[in-house]
Amino acid sequence: MTGPFVAACVDCEERREATDPNEIVRFYRRHQSVTGHDVAWEQTPSLGVASDDVPEVVSSLVTDPEEGVPLGELSAAMSELGWTVGETLDAVYDHRMRGALWEPQDDYVSAV
Amino acid sequence: MTRWTNSADETQAVSPDITDETNALPADCFTDPDVWELEKETIFANYWLYAGHENCIPEAGDYFTRTIGDRQVIVARDQEGEVRVFYNVCAHRGSKMVEDTPMTDPGNMGRIQCPYHLWTYDLDGSLRSTPKSFEEASLNPDLDDEEVSGLDPDENGLLEVQTDNIGPLIFLNFDDDPSLSLDEQAGKMKTRLESLPLEEYEHARRYVSEVECNWKTFAGNYSECDHCQANHQDWIKGIQLNESELEVNDYHWVLHYTHEEDIEDELRIHDEHEAQFHYFWPNFTVNMYGTADGYGTYIIDPIDEERFQLIADYYFADPDLSDAEEEFVRTSRQLQEEDFELVERQYDGLRSGALAQAQLGPNEHTLHRFHRLVQEAYET
Repeated sequence: MTGPFVAACVDCEERREATDPNEIVRFYRRHQSVTGHDVAWEQTPSLGVASDDVPEVVSSLVTDPEEGVPLGELSAAMSELGWTVGETLDAVYDHRMRGALWEPQDDYVSAV
Repeated sequence: MTRWTNSADETQAVSPDITDETNALPADCFTDPDVWELEKETIFANYWLYAGHENCIPEAGDYFTRTIGDRQVIVARDQEGEVRVFYNVCAHRGSKMVEDTPMTDPGNMGRIQCPYHLWTYDLDGSLRSTPKSFEEASLNPDLDDEEVSGLDPDENGLLEVQTDNIGPLIFLNFDDDPSLSLDEQAGKMKTRLESLPLEEYEHARRYVSEVECNWKTFAGNYSECDHCQANHQDWIKGIQLNESELEVNDYHWVLHYTHEEDIEDELRIHDEHEAQFHYFWPNFTVNMYGTADGYGTYIIDPIDEERFQLIADYYFADPDLSDAEEEFVRTSRQLQEEDFELVERQYDGLRSGALAQAQLGPNEHTLHRFHRLVQEAYET
């Protein structure tokens, strides 16, 4: 999946453009830490996501389960359903804690 | 002579005399990732740093978190009304305890509890309770319960960080035994700010911007106004730059921008007919405006050697801003955006590696003081 990836705060005007989708996730964490604000995607490559079942979407995106899908790529995909970065990360956390997703490397996930 | 990278003249330490040509930091101090690692210990662990504003945590148990470099602290008001700062690290096995909580959306807690093994602390940092599994040895066949000594609450509390205040502004120092007190570091800035009713103003707006340059690049831009005539044409309307003054003190400097005479006295906090922009080493500013009954602060927080977050907070008597105050904030934001363009452009040039050491002009004496402080910190 190639960028550019563009996202912006839903409450203020701060925007971020990146070639690495996980940089948008890091931006969200930094921004949320000092403002409490969420971040929404403005520009992503279209992935044709039609499901709000996060593990199912992860399975459709993953090419190597041992490597996983970057959280930023997953979040960009879920944005086609209107999800923010924060909403995707919250859902990922819930699915990890229920055993439906695992993290083969930092900020990459695969379906169990 | 300019010290280009291919010059025969090598870079030198920042000269004490601003008229020398080596009066600025070498360019690699802005671009080298190792220098940022050095700064975490030599600058951001040894001096008084801004933690936040007391008015945002008025009640016992109110708290927020603040991250500086690799360290994160909890800033909390205890049951006696005192603001205390603790590392956000459990005394048991070092887990991070509370989630990131911004000053502008503070939390409230009766006690501080680590979610890992439920060690629980009072708001003064002392250990309040541990689960029963820490008081008996039921899973350990080699140990009797009687052999388990209890945990002394005072000896197993949270690691507290030194704090002090200037009015409602909370500062912290990660050094257990700071070489300077806050009074010594702030000098007459403390007296000046404490003569003003800063505590009567409420937090009204926060804007956080990520900027693609080294934090010192922005700090330098804030500290001089030789660039204002050419680059802040809206802002300098009504300011008499020729009558303005840049005042340098040991660890802070003040940019006094004289306003034209027709500004009403009600439109500023201080008496002087000017805007006063205070830069407090290493990365904090207090912006006393000449045309608004309010004040602002900037935190210039490094992310790494090539990015920083500018955390801009605005304080007014009423957080519901009037149209005029909204317009003032908008103009201030425009000024920031103009400066971001300038510092990112400068950083693009520095990153190219062409320039080995910049040179400062005679009216960049505030910036010269800043560069000298950076160098002194590196040398310690």
